[in-house]
Amino acid sequence: MHIDLDAFFCAVEELRRPYLKSKPFAVGGPPKGRGVVNSCSYAARSFGVHSAMPMKRALKICPQLIVVKPEPRVYQRASQKVFSVLADFTPLIEQISIDEAFLDLSDLPEDEFALARQIQERIWLETKLPCSIGVATNKLVAKIATDVGKAASKGSNYPRAITVIPPGQEAAFLADLPVRMLWGVGPKTAAVLKRHGIHTIGELANCPQCELVKLFGKMGYDLARHALGIDERPVVQERLVKSISQEVTFEEDIRDETYLRRTLRELVEKVAYRLRQEKLCCRTIRIKLRWPDFTTHLHQRTLPNPTDEESIIFQIAEELFSQLWQPGSAIRLLGVGVSSLSLPVYQLNLWQTESFREHQLLGAIDKLRERYGKSVIHRGLIIDKKHEGV
Amino acid sequence: MKVSVSQQQLAHGLSMVSRAVSPRSTLPVLANVLVATDDGRLRLSATNLEMGITCWIGAQITEQGAITVPARTFSDLVNQLPNELVHLDLNASTHTLNVRCGMSNTDIKGIDAQEFPPMPVAAPQEGVPLNVANFKEMIQQVAFAASTDEARPILQGVLMTAADSEVTLAATDGFRISVRKAALSEPLPVPIQAVIPARALQELARIAADGEQVMTMSVPSGRGQVIFHMKDAELSSLLIEGNFPDYKAIIPRSFKTSTTMTTAAFLKACRQAEIIARDGNYVVRLNILPGETEPGKVEITAQSEETGFSENSVEAAIDGPGLVIAFNVRFLREVLEVIKTPSVVLQTNANNTPGMIKPAGDENYIHLIMPMHLG
Repeated sequence: MHIDLDAFFCAVEELRRPYLKSKPFAVGGPPKGRGVVNSCSYAARSFGVHSAMPMKRALKICPQLIVVKPEPRVYQRASQKVFSVLADFTPLIEQISIDEAFLDLSDLPEDEFALARQIQERIWLETKLPCSIGVATNKLVAKIATDVGKAASKGSNYPRAITVIPPGQEAAFLADLPVRMLWGVGPKTAAVLKRHGIHTIGELANCPQCELVKLFGKMGYDLARHALGIDERPVVQERLVKSISQEVTFEEDIRDETYLRRTLRELVEKVAYRLRQEKLCCRTIRIKLRWPDFTTHLHQRTLPNPTDEESIIFQIAEELFSQLWQPGSAIRLLGVGVSSLSLPVYQLNLWQTESFREHQLLGAIDKLRERYGKSVIHRGLIIDKKHEGV
Repeated sequence: MKVSVSQQQLAHGLSMVSRAVSPRSTLPVLANVLVATDDGRLRLSATNLEMGITCWIGAQITEQGAITVPARTFSDLVNQLPNELVHLDLNASTHTLNVRCGMSNTDIKGIDAQEFPPMPVAAPQEGVPLNVANFKEMIQQVAFAASTDEARPILQGVLMTAADSEVTLAATDGFRISVRKAALSEPLPVPIQAVIPARALQELARIAADGEQVMTMSVPSGRGQVIFHMKDAELSSLLIEGNFPDYKAIIPRSFKTSTTMTTAAFLKACRQAEIIARDGNYVVRLNILPGETEPGKVEITAQSEETGFSENSVEAAIDGPGLVIAFNVRFLREVLEVIKTPSVVLQTNANNTPGMIKPAGDENYIHLIMPMHLG
């Protein structure tokens, strides 16, 4: 079963501010800079507004659009409530994002449709949040079922769709859908398929597997199987975190070195905090720079030993930054990411060392943040920047 | 210079000194080996200015002289020569050494021996006599625990303290400490303390011939040098300056649990665990399980996300409460490889305090290892 909260951020905002009800509004960044739409109400969608659209454009096509500033902490709390409802039905939950999950309910005796209805009702009762559900024998088809159900519901209300694909019907259900709805088919793959006269998933399913392998290599096998509605991936309870990253698109291009380096520090602080929250260490540190002309550079380095120390991550990030960035050049986006994650296993020292002290310091900082919120404490360097901004 | 030497002895001598050659130095003569007649023998010397090695081999000398020749060229050549007499003939005016052996005849261009840095000389009467076999074992048990981190030069050294009738070697890389004591054959008039590069001691252990009984160690005061003198060889090294960390303060005075195992069984289990653990930070867990009625055991497990999982258990006599403690398996393996007694004792307090490993029934050697932290 795939479950997806309908226009999640907007639904939460409507609960907090009832005056928004049925109005076209969007949650996202401010229109004067480079803000984009994170989520928009169904009323706004009927004007053609969609998520990831620049807020400026959204306002052009829908001038009465109300722009709401996002409140991540509020959404996080609402999401937790929803997931605790889901946990009452099964422990087999794979959370994909803040508002999306797979559930494995194959052990439950109830009829799928009734069960889906029951879950939808319980979520509505306890959180007043609408959701759509797709039920199928595997993750791929369930997810597409949700998407199809949602798309079928037109109008300015929440879809609250439930779509059940009975066993054996997977291929038939997919056959008439456009190939783009399959996982792993992006614009490039779709373009290649189109050139070969393949538009629907059914046409893809009829295409001999060897042809697909010729076109796409290994991915061809997956495509052929997916087109038939075959997907054997299990619902994984704890999705392994593979990488953690943070990035920021500046309101306007930045060329000031001090500002950039402080931003880098801030990003590293966030990444390292998440790393510690997940109780992980990283070996690979990556930075991402996007220039005003949208060309993007990635630079990464792998350490001999895993670390969760902010100072080490920052030192590497800064070195990488210095290698990529020429003083005076303007930057549109700056990002920091870590990967090659592992459990935090490290050799203890006989003598108290820098790294030991840093672990103690960061442990204390994390406790403060857990209690009083993330902004309670920052590095001196970063506070400076905040003051300048005021 | 006109000299005849046996090819085998010459090749052996060159292999001894070659480890002190520094091929990429800005000073070209340091890539050379000094070949000189010295009091009826042929002397070979090499130095990298930190460490110097000299050895003497028996030779038929018809004319005195000295030259330096590129170490690599000379030893590669000698290694290829037949096992016969090698005739060395120096043309002093062109600094060219003619090497003749069997049907082979080679000229090697050299650098004037005057340019070779002077090697430190020890006054033999000042030295501390050391038993060669004993001292080699001490080095093997201690030097591996020194650091290889260039950023902390003092930890790249081995602290040697000699006072009264006892000599002690100690090394640490910040994660483990190895300490070995031994008795001296005669009491020292003045105590000696010096930090000797671990590399120099390892070279010494390599070149000290097993057949020899005694070598002398001199630490001439105020020169910052140590010289080990043997019958046919000499090794000198600069000492490392600085304060060696106070390792004695780190060694726990008491332990809660004492676990005795067969050295060979424990070592074998560690070697097996390392095959899995080397892909995952080298971490192994020791689960020390005292037995109520039956004998106790130690379970050794290693897990790596990519490679797999391994479990081994070793029978043990355990005195004290059980404990799960994680170690770098390489550290365990390295110390177990140098323990000579049939049984070994592992002493522990907690999973975040150092564990001590020592040979059962031998109070002269202790090895302390800090555990690994598991998230």
